Amino acid sequence: MNDLQKDIAQLIIDTLSLEDIEASEITPALPLFGEGLGLDSIDALELALALQKRYDIQIASDSRDARQHFANVESLAAFVEAQRTACAS
Amino acid sequence: MAEPRSNRRHWAGRKERGSFILMKFTAAIARRLGRRVLAPLLYVIVFYFYASDRRGRYSIRQYQTRLSCWSGRAELMPRHRSVFGQFMAFAECLLDRLDVWSGKLSLEQVQLDDPADVRSRLLQSRGSGRGQILVCTHLGNLDVCRAMAELGEQVPLNVLVHTHHVGHYNRLLGEAGEHRMRLIQVSELDTALMMDLSQRIERGEWLAIAGDRVPLHGGRCVQVDFLGQTAAMPQGPWLMAGLLRCPVNLIFCLKVDGRYTIHLEPYIEDHSWERGQRDATIQRWAQGYADRLAQRCLQAPQQWFNFYPYWQAPATETEHAR
Repeated sequence: MNDLQKDIAQLIIDTLSLEDIEASEITPALPLFGEGLGLDSIDALELALALQKRYDIQIASDSRDARQHFANVESLAAFVEAQRTACAS
Repeated sequence: MAEPRSNRRHWAGRKERGSFILMKFTAAIARRLGRRVLAPLLYVIVFYFYASDRRGRYSIRQYQTRLSCWSGRAELMPRHRSVFGQFMAFAECLLDRLDVWSGKLSLEQVQLDDPADVRSRLLQSRGSGRGQILVCTHLGNLDVCRAMAELGEQVPLNVLVHTHHVGHYNRLLGEAGEHRMRLIQVSELDTALMMDLSQRIERGEWLAIAGDRVPLHGGRCVQVDFLGQTAAMPQGPWLMAGLLRCPVNLIFCLKVDGRYTIHLEPYIEDHSWERGQRDATIQRWAQGYADRLAQRCLQAPQQWFNFYPYWQAPATETEHAR
């Protein structure tokens, strides 16, 4: 688990006030929705807004695309990374 | 969309009634010859809509019955005259909208009822600070509110509308000289949209959204008690308040004795919600709104412009009503 992944796991906990779990429990491959962490679509929106504030990222208006980015911490970290590179160049 | 077109009974799927030509014709007369010349003709035109719209008549009759029973005011029970009167009020409202956009109805002619001074918050966010949410309604005249915010104060106002229902009327507005309003078409709250709205709020822009019409396909509604019976209302405004963490104000624009008054009131100041309590919080906000709306209905009983069976669950609407 790299720093960004840890950071995102903590952000998930803070944003959604998931007090009963530790950041380390949200492993990179753990599905955020459904059987994994059990988030719902409103959680996803809250999370997206928190990510936007923290990392200044944009999500294009293609919801299928967004769903893939939000699959787990690993995909979210990859997405944030990609956005940063895109902004830097 | 899976269901056949003819079965769609949701307001948003409903084809705009009557002919565009007739509306255009009416608007042209209003513009060229003035409202006074139009007055007798307007009765004939509205009577055509009244006579041909069985479902509309049924819906208004139902609304007037509920309002009367709920308030205990027997004089509000529906009669032919009062149902027709509501159709007339709607026609007047449409003509007023054209007047607003063409500048004939100015800010000075509209009274402001704003005891908590929401207006100065609107003005403040022009320069700095975050925007807020304005929840508007199809009771009274929506466009007067929008126009006043845009033209009078020059506040960046984004109006969220549910898809294409606005079609023809927007063309008329365009012809009347209105190109400024920022309409954002919304069918569901997705990530990209929320991010966009969030940035607008941070920039100090305001969002206007109707609190009394459920979105397409019956998605995201909440059941509330409205005028003594259960009705479905949208979750949208309340979800947005919680997600965007911004205050909500209510705006009503009612015409009483021929004069418009804009009523502004703060509604949600504490917009935080706990994750486990989210549904309950939305329910509470929506119910509180329905209660405010019911009170305002009594102020302008004939200006309820939802011409469809309001107390019917959106998912179970059937063909029989028309």
